[in-house]
Amino acid sequence: MIHDNNGISTSMLTKDYNNGYRALDSLNLNVQPGDIYGFLGPNGAGKTTTIRLLCGLLSPSSGVGRVGGFDIRKENLKVRNIIGLLPEGSGFYLWMNAVEYLIYFASLYKIDRNVAMKRIDDLLEKVGLAYKQFVPIGYYSRGMKQRLGLARAILNDPKILFLDEPTLGLDPKGQQDILNFLLKLNKEKNITIFFSSHALREVAVLANRIGIINYGKFVAEGTLNELRYLAGNVSKIKIIISDSNDIDVLKILSSLPFNIEIENYIKKDSIDVIISDFTDEQLNILIDTLRGFHININEIVKLDMNLEDIFFNLTKSRKQKNEFNEGICLESRNINWRAN
Amino acid sequence: MQIYKHEIYGNFYSWRGGLWIIVASLIFSLVAYLLLTDKELSLLDQGEMLYTLGQIIIALGIVIAAITASSSISGEIESGTFENILLVPIKFRIIAIEKVLSVITMWGILYLVCIPYLIVLSNGTNFAIPSVFYVGIFGTILVTGISLLSISLSIFLTSSKNSVMTAIMIVLILLAPSLFFGSSLKKTDFGIILENVNPASHAINSLDSVLVDNEITLKQQNIHLAAVSIFMVSCIFVFLYCTRNFELKVMK
Repeated sequence: MIHDNNGISTSMLTKDYNNGYRALDSLNLNVQPGDIYGFLGPNGAGKTTTIRLLCGLLSPSSGVGRVGGFDIRKENLKVRNIIGLLPEGSGFYLWMNAVEYLIYFASLYKIDRNVAMKRIDDLLEKVGLAYKQFVPIGYYSRGMKQRLGLARAILNDPKILFLDEPTLGLDPKGQQDILNFLLKLNKEKNITIFFSSHALREVAVLANRIGIINYGKFVAEGTLNELRYLAGNVSKIKIIISDSNDIDVLKILSSLPFNIEIENYIKKDSIDVIISDFTDEQLNILIDTLRGFHININEIVKLDMNLEDIFFNLTKSRKQKNEFNEGICLESRNINWRAN
Repeated sequence: MQIYKHEIYGNFYSWRGGLWIIVASLIFSLVAYLLLTDKELSLLDQGEMLYTLGQIIIALGIVIAAITASSSISGEIESGTFENILLVPIKFRIIAIEKVLSVITMWGILYLVCIPYLIVLSNGTNFAIPSVFYVGIFGTILVTGISLLSISLSIFLTSSKNSVMTAIMIVLILLAPSLFFGSSLKKTDFGIILENVNPASHAINSLDSVLVDNEITLKQQNIHLAAVSIFMVSCIFVFLYCTRNFELKVMK
């Protein structure tokens, strides 16, 4: 069942290449208008294939997809009218300058010359290239080219913007500039942004929904919290309390009116307790109980799986499943827990 | 026609882009000079001289068209610029057609450059108009066919090195009977078959019959015209097949 919204939706979208390689397998995707959707996956997982299918650069082998309400197979040209794409490693005509380059693409989009000139001035200002607008692109740094590519991608005022590894190879400042620009763009114009990335941090910062793909198959989708749950995250807290030989903290904890799992108990100068799977109400009861016994609570830290843990956990599960099927049993990987 | 304009602009953007016109002019000047001043070559009658120059013009046109067209799409795929072009709401076939038109325009410029040479060499004879007309008509048909075929190779192979090499080999096969075969090889069964199926040989034989044998009417050249037209129509079909459903499969 495909959701016909003005965002992005696919149903059983599959891509097989002529050599029999299945790059994408039965992708079901639903991106709402105005979403910033982060698409994660290891190398060769099918991220670029997905973006190329959604942009009409590839034809699906089976399944359906709609972008901005248009069928990606039958209404290919209409799709291209309402989207922008910044491909990975986008090429440029190095003998042109930024203005000439954008004028050329504006003419391909049949944008009126006066409107185009105004828009180009505005875009070059926004992406921070106004001061180099008449310098040949061949002299641009990678970061400048990426910003020019971004300006080209939004030149036609797209409703949906696709970005394939937008910050790849950029320095931290360049990465931050691009992220800020995209956030502003989404906020001001409500553009739906669909981007793939290896940089988990930027996905966590930018995306309000995240999809994870591996071996051409969709592994998981949701908000960061939903993905934490899917990855097997249960809420955990770490409580550091002052050591008190007079009080048996474990006994107190085990007498609570709900079951808690004490994962870690270290008795040194302080007691370090990690409690899994709790609710806010239970947390309050726990604090009240400890305070009722005059136990000093030095620190309470809420521990969440970060995106890196979620990604490795979910993609590992899939890899393990695949390799198990091939008769290889991998040793389980411990997940690191970090405080947000 | 924005892609067409862009291609033309790219071809003539700097002096380097237009260098091939200067080189072509130098070649024509050198050939014309040799034909008029060399002791042995100047013994040729003017029809033979025009025929020799006509062959060179058509051969040069074919070579330029093959090289330019065979790298036009694969070159953009390799440099990563083609993905951006494919994203604009223009059909792939239209993009390819505009690229073919830009190659034909290059032939048009080459043709304009060669006209004065043909006129000068035909001075004092009635070959000026036939030579300009037949070089124009055969050159245009052959260049169009070669452009369509080479751009199809460029689409099919998606590698500049492979598509340029293949296109040059096709050009060599087309030009071999006229330029490299001796008269004895031409008279063998192999030579006769190759000449009869080869559109470039038909074009050059037609120039021979017009400028040497003075058979200047279209009716007298209809077999040759039909042969090059069949070649062009075949190339159109190949082009239509290759541009029917393009997918950007190659990762940069």
